[in-house]
Amino acid sequence: MINPMQIALIKKDLRNITSNKRLFSVMLIVPLALAVVLPLMFILLTIFVPEGMSDIQSLLDLLPQSAQTGDPGHMVINLVLNNIMPVIFLMIPILTASVMAASSFVGEKEKRTLETLLYCPLSLKQIFNAKILASFIMSMMVSFISFITMILVVETAMQLTMGSMILPDIGWLIMMLLVSPAVSLIAIILIVRGSAKAQSMEESQQRGVFLILPVILLAVGQFTGIMLVNSWLLLGLGIICAVIALLAMKSSFRKFNYETLFK
Amino acid sequence: MKAVIANNLSKNFSQDKKALDGVSFTLEEGAVFGFLGPNGAGKTTTVKLLNGMLMPTAGTCRVFDIDPALEPEQVHKLSGVITEHAQMYDNLTGFQNLIFYGSIFGISVDESRKRALTFLDSLDLVDAKDQKLSAYSTGMRQRLSLARAMIHKPKILFLDEPTSGLDPESAQSVNNLIKDLARDNGTTVFLCTHQLRYAQEICTNYGLIDEGVLLAVGDIGELRAMVFSGMTITIKADYYPEGMSIHRNKDGYCEINVQSEDEIPPIIRRIINGGGNVYHVSARQLSLEEIYFTLIERRKEKRRAKK
Repeated sequence: MINPMQIALIKKDLRNITSNKRLFSVMLIVPLALAVVLPLMFILLTIFVPEGMSDIQSLLDLLPQSAQTGDPGHMVINLVLNNIMPVIFLMIPILTASVMAASSFVGEKEKRTLETLLYCPLSLKQIFNAKILASFIMSMMVSFISFITMILVVETAMQLTMGSMILPDIGWLIMMLLVSPAVSLIAIILIVRGSAKAQSMEESQQRGVFLILPVILLAVGQFTGIMLVNSWLLLGLGIICAVIALLAMKSSFRKFNYETLFK
Repeated sequence: MKAVIANNLSKNFSQDKKALDGVSFTLEEGAVFGFLGPNGAGKTTTVKLLNGMLMPTAGTCRVFDIDPALEPEQVHKLSGVITEHAQMYDNLTGFQNLIFYGSIFGISVDESRKRALTFLDSLDLVDAKDQKLSAYSTGMRQRLSLARAMIHKPKILFLDEPTSGLDPESAQSVNNLIKDLARDNGTTVFLCTHQLRYAQEICTNYGLIDEGVLLAVGDIGELRAMVFSGMTITIKADYYPEGMSIHRNKDGYCEINVQSEDEIPPIIRRIINGGGNVYHVSARQLSLEEIYFTLIERRKEKRRAKK
């Protein structure tokens, strides 16, 4: 399905973004803040500001009975890691995919390199597939690296402060293998669909923001206790997103031909 | 096999904007075709149609017997294209760019590297091969574009204003390259330009286009025949016999139109026999530039007459 010419294109796209310091730093700073700084802050807050616990207590009450055991500090961190963080974490693939896709599609158009690419013996669909795949690979790589870093940081902090471990639950598996890839794809396709019209990379990146909104709503839901994310909810969300992504991908190809891209 | 066949090719971008209006021509393999016309005449549109980047509104075209509207990728395998909008990557070096373009044309990295080095050498870019493209001058970029368009050894090159924005020296070197390429490899060249003097140096055939209408196609002799196939002789003498039809210029030079070279000696003999002294005689045929302007002017007059 993927031929060597497409692989060359994917490699070029990946190298293109990693060599662009400005874009690459955006892609690294936000995941760092979300996956490392934020959970660390929660852990430190829980340990050093026990008075704050009274507010969090109401949140803890929402947890299923089975989870309401053990040390309150441990419980809070468990809540943060396994219920609040997955939603916030979703912003990482969205952001990475948006930045990468905008650079890969609209950036090439802006720098007038897209036309050169279109004169190669790959079909438009093959070019688009390769570029979507490049953005997807980048997004997944950043997501997995962020996840592993987050777990390492959280576990280390836990060991040092409480002397115990806290394990990510099954929700994270669904998150990393289903929701995050699906949401990345949606973000990429949103940008690809807009790429024919978009004249600048910034304009295009802003489309990704539309996806961040529902994530923020979900996150707010977490804190106010309206709806607590659990594995089933994540699974449902993941399946819906995956279906949307596949449908959107199919329909977006019909819209494209050389002529619409040149306008 | 014909390199290019265009048959009544038309393209409308909107109802009242005809970019190309019933253009027909054929191109033999190995020809260097100069496609001449003012800006906005439809030259770039033609190149895009021949590469399947645009769909014709009416008519058909074939490039080496492939229909670009149906199988653009197959045409791309055979064609190398340079247009103003087809740039390369600023963040890569010249050498890396060529290797990348080689690999998306399905050439192995080793082979791309080998070919890239040969081209960089012949284009005088070896010293700049490891510089990022952002440091390249316009002339260097244009020469690198030529290497990029040729990396897969295309059978036909489409060059859309390859020398625009270049200084005379760079323009000359690009033109020489195109000439060598056509001569040594038999590559067919489709050259869009409005630099008529350069065109006359390298092209074997011409097409003249204005406002989407093909005004003339053929070699220089055929084009001349449409305007004036004879030659103009310029004479400087201190006496002209009675009844000789001359156009007197300043500085004592006169121009006489004749049909062939054979008419020149009798004219000179008449002047000398009449007791005149001849200081200068030169003969020339209409240049491409003169033919071009005459044909474009004729079309304008026709349009005016219609109104």
